[in-house]
Amino acid sequence: MKRTRMEKIAYPVVIAVLSLLCLSVIYPFLYMLAISLNEGADAAKGGVYIWPRSFTTINYEIVLGNEVIRHSYLITIGRTVLGTIGGLFVTLLAAYGLSYKKLPLRGTILGYILITMLFNGGLIPFYIQLNDLGLLNTFWVYIFPGLFSAWNMFVMLKFIQGIPEALIEAAELDGAGPVRALLQIVIPLSKPMLAALGLFTAVGHWNDWFAGSFFVTDQSLIPVQTFLQQLLSASDLSAVLGSNTNQEALARSSEMANITLMSIKMAVVMVSSIPILCIYPFLQKYFVKGVLIGSVKG
Amino acid sequence: MYAKLYKHRWQYLMILPGVVLLFLFSYVPMAGIVVAFRDFRIGTSIWDSPWVGFDNFSFLREPQFWTVVENTLYISVLKFIFGFPAPILLALLINEVAHSKFKRFVQSVSYLPHFFSWIVVAYMLQSFLTLDGGMVNQLIAKAGGEPIFFLGSTEWFRPIVVGSGLWKETGWNTILYLAAITTIDPQLYEAAKVEGAGKLAQIRHITLPGIMPTISIVLILSIPSLITVGMDQIYPLMNSANMQVSDVLDTYVLRSGLQQGYFGMSTAVGLLSSVIGLVLVLTTNQLSRKLNGEGLW
Repeated sequence: MKRTRMEKIAYPVVIAVLSLLCLSVIYPFLYMLAISLNEGADAAKGGVYIWPRSFTTINYEIVLGNEVIRHSYLITIGRTVLGTIGGLFVTLLAAYGLSYKKLPLRGTILGYILITMLFNGGLIPFYIQLNDLGLLNTFWVYIFPGLFSAWNMFVMLKFIQGIPEALIEAAELDGAGPVRALLQIVIPLSKPMLAALGLFTAVGHWNDWFAGSFFVTDQSLIPVQTFLQQLLSASDLSAVLGSNTNQEALARSSEMANITLMSIKMAVVMVSSIPILCIYPFLQKYFVKGVLIGSVKG
Repeated sequence: MYAKLYKHRWQYLMILPGVVLLFLFSYVPMAGIVVAFRDFRIGTSIWDSPWVGFDNFSFLREPQFWTVVENTLYISVLKFIFGFPAPILLALLINEVAHSKFKRFVQSVSYLPHFFSWIVVAYMLQSFLTLDGGMVNQLIAKAGGEPIFFLGSTEWFRPIVVGSGLWKETGWNTILYLAAITTIDPQLYEAAKVEGAGKLAQIRHITLPGIMPTISIVLILSIPSLITVGMDQIYPLMNSANMQVSDVLDTYVLRSGLQQGYFGMSTAVGLLSSVIGLVLVLTTNQLSRKLNGEGLW
């Protein structure tokens, strides 16, 4: 293989550009981590870029001592687990039921689902309906509205229809009803697809701040991302220092005045991001597959 | 007929929860659009409130509304101009990497930002750009320059939105293109090499034509999103200082409806953008049918 001189120069340039792009993704996290592990007043002087200069864990002690934050974490975990499992369950059931091509009214039901993807009533009528159903200001406002996903339904339908019909028919000849066929054949064969869609649903729940900010007013019901959203525009630390149970850390922080709004903010954002950073490497093999399943026209 | 329905009772039972949920959370709100033509106050029933015809559409005469429309289009067109070619370019670059471990590393890292919320991105921007202690302003000060109020400036708002959008989604959007590239027959490249074609010629005559179907599908699918600028991204970056350029249709509905209580008027705005959205989707579908021989559904 011969390379022209141009290409010999170009290749290192490509590698360098890609390395820089990777750095631009990773660096902000390193920077925020460094600030969150540095004394606030010291970091404000500037010059902390990658490594904390005046190391402290006080920011994290304060953040984790706050009851609203701790509780918001539980809400986030609760809605992620419940919303993902429930969502996959409801959506898979519908997709499986609709995978029977001879089902009477099948086309009508598919049309009924498709319409919701093309047109919606908008935010305000949706809000009024949540209000009428009594879901506003309850935990369930995070779960029920998103339980059935039309998009995921079509992806699942496409996938299930790829399973050889002979397999399902054979099971049914053996006397298995549709429920047994679902449990014994369809679900085991759909695992990679379920893993991928489950992952996307879970990330959606983990990152959603909107419902918590506009459909809920009770501070004991907000998820982590909503807490972050509220703190983003805060002008002082009262949201974090109030209802804080870590008295010892509070005393320490006020004595030395070594926490700042910025250092606390960075600690909160790291606390919300670290779980994703930790599980990310293990999830990769699922999501690439997931995007590709979803992209095949349904 | 009934026997046929009964024979499939299990299937219907399985579909039922989904159908009910869509009815409650999609169809009832669609019917709720009548609020746009009524004088509705929260606490009363939609159906009892008096009809007011097109009174709620008086926003069409307000210059503020047209500023919002302009902002929406401005941002979505900018995001499209930069956001559409960027993943193609990145996929081509990644594809040129011969070292497979480095290639996988680049892919993993570039997908990562997709998994973080726009709120986290907003914090990131704050940590770099804020006036008190943001890294960029510290460096500007060190270099002897005047600090810039990036986050509260009408000039910087759009570049920040476009830039952070690129940062978050470019890598993720390469997945489809990289998958399309792997389906290209390697023999084509071999033949091109024998003919003495250089890398650039191979990209131009083999890789690009090979991923052209994917490019056209992505292009078509991005048309309907032209009037929705992700509120998720805009809202966290919005403040009173940049409002004149940052207020978009979604945030306008949110503010006038949920925060100020003008339910009828904000439903009307929502209706207008839903209808435009529908028209765009249907047009897109027609377009796709003409170009690709098949519709979107």
